[in-house]
Amino acid sequence: MSATMDGLAGVLERVANTSSRKRKVGLLAEWMRGLGEADLVRAVRFLSGEPVAGAGDRKLSVGHAVVREAAVAVTGVSVEMFRMCHREVGDSSETVGLLREGGAAGVEVRLEEAEQAYLRLFQERRTARKVELLVGELGRMRPLAVKYFLKVITGNFRVGLQKKLVEEALAKATGRAGEEVKGASNRSGDLGLVARAARRGELAEVEAKLFHPLEFMLAKPLDEVGDVGEAGQWLVEDKYDGIRSQVHFEQGKVRIYTRGLEDTTAAFPELVEEFERVGGRGVVDGEVLAWRDERALNFTVLQQRLARKKVDAGVRESVPVVFVAYDLLYRDGELLLDRAIGERRGRLEEMGLRVSPQRRLGAVGEIEELFAAARGRGNEGLLLKREGSVYQAGKRSGDWLKVKRAYGTLDVVVTAAEQGSGRRATMLSDYTFAVRQGERFVNVGKAYSGLTDEEIRELTKVFRGIARERYGRVTVVEPRVVLEVAFDGVQKSPRHKSGYALRFPRIVRWRRDKSAEEADGIERVEELYARSLA
Amino acid sequence: MELQYSREGIYVAAIDLWLDPQNSQGAAWISHAHSDHARHYSRTVIGTGISLELYRMRWPAKEEWGQELRVLEYGEEMEWRGARLRCIPAGHILGAAQLLIEYGGERLVYTGDIKKKAPLCGRETEVVECDHLIVESTFGLPVYRFLTREQAREEIAGFARECLEEGATPVFLGYPLGRGQEIVGALTGAGIRTAVHGAIAKYIPVYERAGVEFGDWEPYEARDLKGKALVVVPGMRRQLEATGVDVRVAYVSGWARVANARLRAGAEKLIAYSDHAGYDELLELVEGTKARRVDVVHGYTEVFAGILRERGIEAEAPAGARGRASEEEAE
Repeated sequence: MSATMDGLAGVLERVANTSSRKRKVGLLAEWMRGLGEADLVRAVRFLSGEPVAGAGDRKLSVGHAVVREAAVAVTGVSVEMFRMCHREVGDSSETVGLLREGGAAGVEVRLEEAEQAYLRLFQERRTARKVELLVGELGRMRPLAVKYFLKVITGNFRVGLQKKLVEEALAKATGRAGEEVKGASNRSGDLGLVARAARRGELAEVEAKLFHPLEFMLAKPLDEVGDVGEAGQWLVEDKYDGIRSQVHFEQGKVRIYTRGLEDTTAAFPELVEEFERVGGRGVVDGEVLAWRDERALNFTVLQQRLARKKVDAGVRESVPVVFVAYDLLYRDGELLLDRAIGERRGRLEEMGLRVSPQRRLGAVGEIEELFAAARGRGNEGLLLKREGSVYQAGKRSGDWLKVKRAYGTLDVVVTAAEQGSGRRATMLSDYTFAVRQGERFVNVGKAYSGLTDEEIRELTKVFRGIARERYGRVTVVEPRVVLEVAFDGVQKSPRHKSGYALRFPRIVRWRRDKSAEEADGIERVEELYARSLA
Repeated sequence: MELQYSREGIYVAAIDLWLDPQNSQGAAWISHAHSDHARHYSRTVIGTGISLELYRMRWPAKEEWGQELRVLEYGEEMEWRGARLRCIPAGHILGAAQLLIEYGGERLVYTGDIKKKAPLCGRETEVVECDHLIVESTFGLPVYRFLTREQAREEIAGFARECLEEGATPVFLGYPLGRGQEIVGALTGAGIRTAVHGAIAKYIPVYERAGVEFGDWEPYEARDLKGKALVVVPGMRRQLEATGVDVRVAYVSGWARVANARLRAGAEKLIAYSDHAGYDELLELVEGTKARRVDVVHGYTEVFAGILRERGIEAEAPAGARGRASEEEAE
């Protein structure tokens, strides 16, 4: 029996109605287990927002305007009414699904039919025809299927951590190890392919592909110098205050991805030129830095580059950038994630790139001194990397330790923004922010902006675009914007949902390079709190 | 009939009667006992026996006021200053009623808060024909459509069972009067062990006297939270979450129709059941009355009046009437 959009929609609705990650995975896995191979591949593609196999960078090009036009035609409400409902609901797919309940009951639609519909939408370049096609599909589907059919297009399921969830469910449904599925997904960037391989037991054969961002290995914060143990096992580098990036290159084609897994290639033409000259194929991990006189400039300088749509000679001159490489993940057909750090570093050094200086830690006592020296060079602190360790993609591993300022900073997500006063009366300048707790975000504090007026103005625009609700001066926003906040301590507090409050939080900067999923979790806050008691 | 709308309520000048006034007046009709409708001390208060009993519990008698409470039960009529008043079931909460006023050859119906689908507790709404209708529109947008009571019962009991089977404690947030008792009824009716918070439990005897049957339930106790469903007031959610007990929160409300309510209510499970009419119900209700003139009060008044006008009904959102109210009573 072939699977239907209705079946998929039903299970996703149940997934949405539970907050337990385990249950979400279980529900999804149970449904996936009953699918034939072709349907499993389809379902996984849909869930990863890539319903058309092999579309690559090319998008479905079904934007909000197309969806709205189709919705109006299918549901018979006016544009004005649709807008009003959309404002109330906050999500266009859901709005259309809810409105669609007022119409014909609809019929079941097989995943295969949905896939063909996506393909037709993809192939059709004329907007008017796209609308027509969409009207046909939305009109014959059942309301709940409509909602999720559209969510695939908008790539927005709003259940959070979607990709990891799908990977786990896939592993569970096919009886494969989670690590195997994750590894194959990371190196190929193609969950559909991974689904097929998982079903067939051929995960090991899934090959690495370039030009999709691999997950980054992350460092754990080192809170106490004494925690490092044996000094000789650590390699020390400066921790830079730039944009962590991954450069993919192959015969003149170059792509730069950030940790938010966004493509920032266009912002850095000089880096593209540099990598065009490197022979062969490769994936290099490192940092993009604004750079002058052999040292990094302040992060805010670099941000000016990111904000630019067009990078002309003037901008290149006023904000020069470099790429400092510190790891090599792939080279000429070989994936190097599982090789020891020494080997990766050795091969990286052969490539003629600017490489982050590295030395072996002689004694634990040196850390303070090295830290001060790094700060003196305008860098953020230190990174300690364990000798012999492999590259653990997507993990915050104890094999990498970061040494930052004495009392920490946190990467937090803004959940609400409040109108300022005086000069900032027209702007949203005071932010309530949260850390992750499972798939939810729980508030830990509120800070009056330490950002520039220009940044606040820009953020205000962003917040208005992702506003969920307004209560007087306060606008509740979708948790998307990541800020780095510094603070003087952590205390228990019933005031915020997390149960904690940061002392004297102040905004250090807007982390445009990070997505909400990369914000710090409640565990980190708990850890800092526990440490403050010790 | 000439009507005066203000923040104080709706005043029918010809017969000197206020409809759900917001402060103390001469004579008032109360459509139901939620405190945004039945409040303060009007000299004469007219309502169903249940509404008046609940009103008295919430606004205890003050001897010096010399208030007169006049019972008008479903289907009954009374003469009032040259008009005939008739009480009609409204299905919003227990005791809720519409008022039909016949005066000078004209029929006016005031719905109060109302739903059209059968409620879990209380009488089903009757639709009566009239010339002039005053209707609420809390959910007057076409995205709002709600579960039937059978579906709601299943969802409520199903969620509770699933949680209990997994060793978690299901928590239902309900307002003290109306939703709370309906949830208790759905749970105990399905044989689920249920603890009820005092603010909700105190009205259960009124329901029982009105013939609503509840299975066994126990009073809520903070030190014993496992192995049963909890029905508590919304303000207790954080407190319960902080106990360390694995609580899973369900939000039963019309607002739960929309996924962003999950965040708003802090619940993981949404059950879109309301004691107000959904969009389709409202249309059905208005059309059923055959009213030529409709005044829309509460909620999406402008929007819903516009929708009615598109359907050829002379409708307006009177200026001065109270705007968008919350579905739940404000307590």
